[in-house]
Amino acid sequence: MEFLTLDVILNSLGEVGSTVLYILVGTLLLEIIVYFLWRPLEIFSGLVDRVLKPMGDPVRHGLSTLLLVGVLVFTVASVSVGVEQSPPPWAPYWPLAIVAFLVGAFISPTAPKIFHWQLRLPYMLFAPALVGLLVLVIYPLLWELNVSFTNLNPKHFKAPDFVGLKNYIDVFTTPVLKQVTFFPVFLRTILWTVINVAFHVTGGMALALLLNRKLKLKGLYRTLLVFPWAIPQPVACLAWRGEFHFEYGFVNILLQRIGLPAIQWMTTPFWNFAAMCITNIWLGIPFMMVILLGGLQSIAGEYYEAAEIDGASGWQQFWNVTIPLLQPILTPAIILGTVWTFTNFNVPFFINQNELETSDTLVTALFRSAFQYFNLGDAAAFAFVNFGILLIFAILYIRVTGGLKGATE
Amino acid sequence: MKRSILTIVALTTLITLVLAACCPEPVVTTEKVVETQVVTEKEEVVVTKEVQVEVPATMEDVEIVLWTKEGEADGGLQFVQALADAYTAEHPNITFEVVNKDVETLREDFLTAGLAGSMPDLLWTVNDHAGPFTDAELIMAVDDMFDLSLYVDSALAAAELGGKTWGVPISNGNHLMLLYNKDLVETPPTNTEELITMGKELTTGDQYGLVFNQTEPFWLVPWLGGFGGAVFADDGTTPTLNTPEMIATLQFLYDIKYTDTIVPPESDYDGADTLFKEGKAAMIINGDWSLGGYKDALGDKLGVARIPMVVGGEWPHPYTSGTYFMLPEGLEGAKLEAVKGFVKYATNANNQALMIAKLNRLPALKAALDDPLIANDPILKGSADQMVVGTPMPTVSEMRCNWDAMKPEMQAVLANTKSPEDAAAAMQTAAETCIANLE
Repeated sequence: MEFLTLDVILNSLGEVGSTVLYILVGTLLLEIIVYFLWRPLEIFSGLVDRVLKPMGDPVRHGLSTLLLVGVLVFTVASVSVGVEQSPPPWAPYWPLAIVAFLVGAFISPTAPKIFHWQLRLPYMLFAPALVGLLVLVIYPLLWELNVSFTNLNPKHFKAPDFVGLKNYIDVFTTPVLKQVTFFPVFLRTILWTVINVAFHVTGGMALALLLNRKLKLKGLYRTLLVFPWAIPQPVACLAWRGEFHFEYGFVNILLQRIGLPAIQWMTTPFWNFAAMCITNIWLGIPFMMVILLGGLQSIAGEYYEAAEIDGASGWQQFWNVTIPLLQPILTPAIILGTVWTFTNFNVPFFINQNELETSDTLVTALFRSAFQYFNLGDAAAFAFVNFGILLIFAILYIRVTGGLKGATE
Repeated sequence: MKRSILTIVALTTLITLVLAACCPEPVVTTEKVVETQVVTEKEEVVVTKEVQVEVPATMEDVEIVLWTKEGEADGGLQFVQALADAYTAEHPNITFEVVNKDVETLREDFLTAGLAGSMPDLLWTVNDHAGPFTDAELIMAVDDMFDLSLYVDSALAAAELGGKTWGVPISNGNHLMLLYNKDLVETPPTNTEELITMGKELTTGDQYGLVFNQTEPFWLVPWLGGFGGAVFADDGTTPTLNTPEMIATLQFLYDIKYTDTIVPPESDYDGADTLFKEGKAAMIINGDWSLGGYKDALGDKLGVARIPMVVGGEWPHPYTSGTYFMLPEGLEGAKLEAVKGFVKYATNANNQALMIAKLNRLPALKAALDDPLIANDPILKGSADQMVVGTPMPTVSEMRCNWDAMKPEMQAVLANTKSPEDAAAAMQTAAETCIANLE
C-alpha cells in the first residue's frame, strides 16, 4: 500500500494536471475554430438559401429531415458493440454520411438563422459542452441501443449476435433476474416512489412551515436539518446499513431496550423494504424542506392578512393560499423528487445487502442484470424500457397538472 | 490589485501542473557493487557495497496491477503486498499496484474491465472464475508458460477446462471446515446430532453455539454433500437442484435456525466472523483463508475439525479448489515476462513455506507438501483432514448459474418466506433458465 509521500502527491497532481491541460487546450482550440469559422458558414448558408429558395420551404425541410434522419440511422447502425466485432458492411461509406449531414444541414431553410453572426458567441461557448455531451452521453446511448439488439453476455462477449427485438420482448415475458419478472418490480418501484415522495413532501412541508416564522436559533436548526443532504449518499447508506445490523446495529439495540424483539432487517423482505424507506426518507426530507422554505418566503404576507380579514382558519389559509401559490415550486420539486426517487440506486442497492429480489427496484434490478449476471443485451433493453416509463410520466404529469403554467405566465 | 494577484496565482498553478505533468522524475535505484579485497594469502574478503545509481527515465519500467481476492482481516492482503514489495526489492523496475476486491466483486469488475478494454495485469483469485473468464476469452491458458508438473495435481485439476489449465495454483484448499473455541468446546461434535445437542447447551443470551455465513450458498453445498446430493448430474453441466437431498439440506438449515435455534437469526460473513473472534460463538464454519486471522485472535484456543457428519448420511463435502494466479488475455512483451517472473517467485518453495506459516494454508507446490509445519501443526492437520473429504469445485460457467439460482432461495428458506420444497423447485427452474440463456 502506498503512503501519501510527496512523490505520490506530485505523481497524482501530474496525472490530473495533464488531463486538465489537455481539456483546456482542446476547449480553446475548438472555440477558436468555431468563432472564426462562423462567418464563412454564414456567408455560405446565405448563398445556398438564395439559390434554393425557388424549391420552397416544405420541400427543403422534408429533404433536410430525410438526410439527417438517414445520417442518424447510419451512425446508430455503425456503432459496433463487441470488443472484436467486425464493423458492419456499410461502415466504409462514412465519408458519404458526412456529406449527407452537411447537405442536410445547409439545405434546411433554418440554416441561415442558425448561422447568423449574432449567434456566433453563444454557439462558440456551447460547442465544448456539445462535444462533451456527444462523447459522454450520446455515443454511450447509441452503443447501449445497439447492445439492446444483441445477445451480449459472457458466452457472446467479443462478437455478440444480432437478435432483433427479442430482448425487449424478454423484458416483459421472462424473469429480469432469477425469479422476479418485470411487473412486480415495476409496481414495487411505484410503491417505493409514492411512499418516499409522500413522506418527503409532508415532512419537508412541515419543517418548512415550522422554520418560516420568527424563531430563535433558526439558522442552527436549518443547518442541522440540512445535514442529511450534505452527507454523500453512499456514506449515509452504508452507515444506516450498519445500524440495521441484527446484532450490532443501534436500531435493534434500541428496540430491545424498550422491550421489543430485534428485527431481521436484512433477510426479511418486508423489513428490508421498510429499512430502505426509512433511510431514503431521512435523506430526502432536507431537499424538500429547503425548496419549500424558499417558496414560502416568496409568498407575500398580504395574502395571509387578506385571508385573516375574511375569517379564514389556519388550515383554510394553508389550503387556499399557501398551496396554490406554492404550486409553481411544488410541481417541479415533486417531479424532480419522483424522478430521483424512482431512479434512486444508492439506497436500494446498499441497504439490500443480501441482494433480496423482493427489495429490488427497476434500477437495482437493471444493475444486477447487467453487472452481476452479465446479461448485457437484456439489461440494455431493460434500461430503455425504464427510460420510456420515466419519459411518459414526466410528459403526462406536466400536462395533467399544468403545474408549470404559473411559472411561464 | 486583487485581480492581478488572482491572475498570477492562477498562472502559477497552471505552470506548476504543466511542469509536473511534463517532466518525468529520474529513477534512483541501488546497484550492488562487489569488491574483493585480499587480506591474507589464504583469505579473501568479499565486500558488497550498495551504490545509488540514477537510471534515466527512458528505461522501461513495468507496473503490474494485481487484483486479489485476499482481504485484510485474514492477513491475506498483507501477505500479497509483502510478496510484491519483496519482488520489487529484487527487481526495482517492476512495481505493483495491489488492489483487493471481494470474490464476487472481482469477477464482476474483471468482466466489466474486459468490456472496457482496461483489465488488470494479474489476478489472484478462486478457480470457479475460470469458467466465465474463459467463456468471455479474457484469460490465457498457462500450460505453455509454466512448469505445471511442480504443482499438486488436484489443485491443477480444479483449474482445468477444455483440456487446458487456466490458472497457476497458489494454495490448495479454499475449503470450509468446522472451527471451534477450545475454551467453550472441549471435544468437537462428530455428527449433526452432537452438533445440535452441543449447540443448544452453548447457546445462551449473548452466545451462539454455531455461526456461519447464512447469505452465501458456498456454505450450503457441504451439507448437500452430507445428505448425498450434488449440484450437477454426472455429466457435470446438468443442474440437479430440485432433489430430495437439497430439500433435506434446506430443511436442516431451517431447523438449526428456527427449531433448534443454535445459530443467530441473521448473520452474514462479517457478523459470524466477528462473533467468533469476540468469543460470542462456540463454533464457526469458515474457510482456510480465515485460519490466520483466527489464530491471531484466539491463539491456542483455536481448534479445527471436520464439519460434522450427517446422521444417516455422509461427511459433508465442502468444495475444494484453492487460489490461483490467472493471466489476462493480451499480456505481452516486458509486462508478460514480469508477470511470469512474479508468479514463479510467489509460488517458489520459500514463499510457499512462508504462506504455510503466516496464513495456515495448504501449499500448491508439491515440494512444499513435505514441510514439517503441515504434519506438526494441529491447525493445518485439521485443515488437511477436512480437505480429504472435500469435492473439487466445478469450474464450468454453468456453475455460475447454480450459485445465482441457489442464493436467493437459500435466503428465502432462512428468512422463513419459502418452504424447502418450493425453494428447491425454484432453484432448479432458475438454473435451467440461466443455462438456456447462456447459449
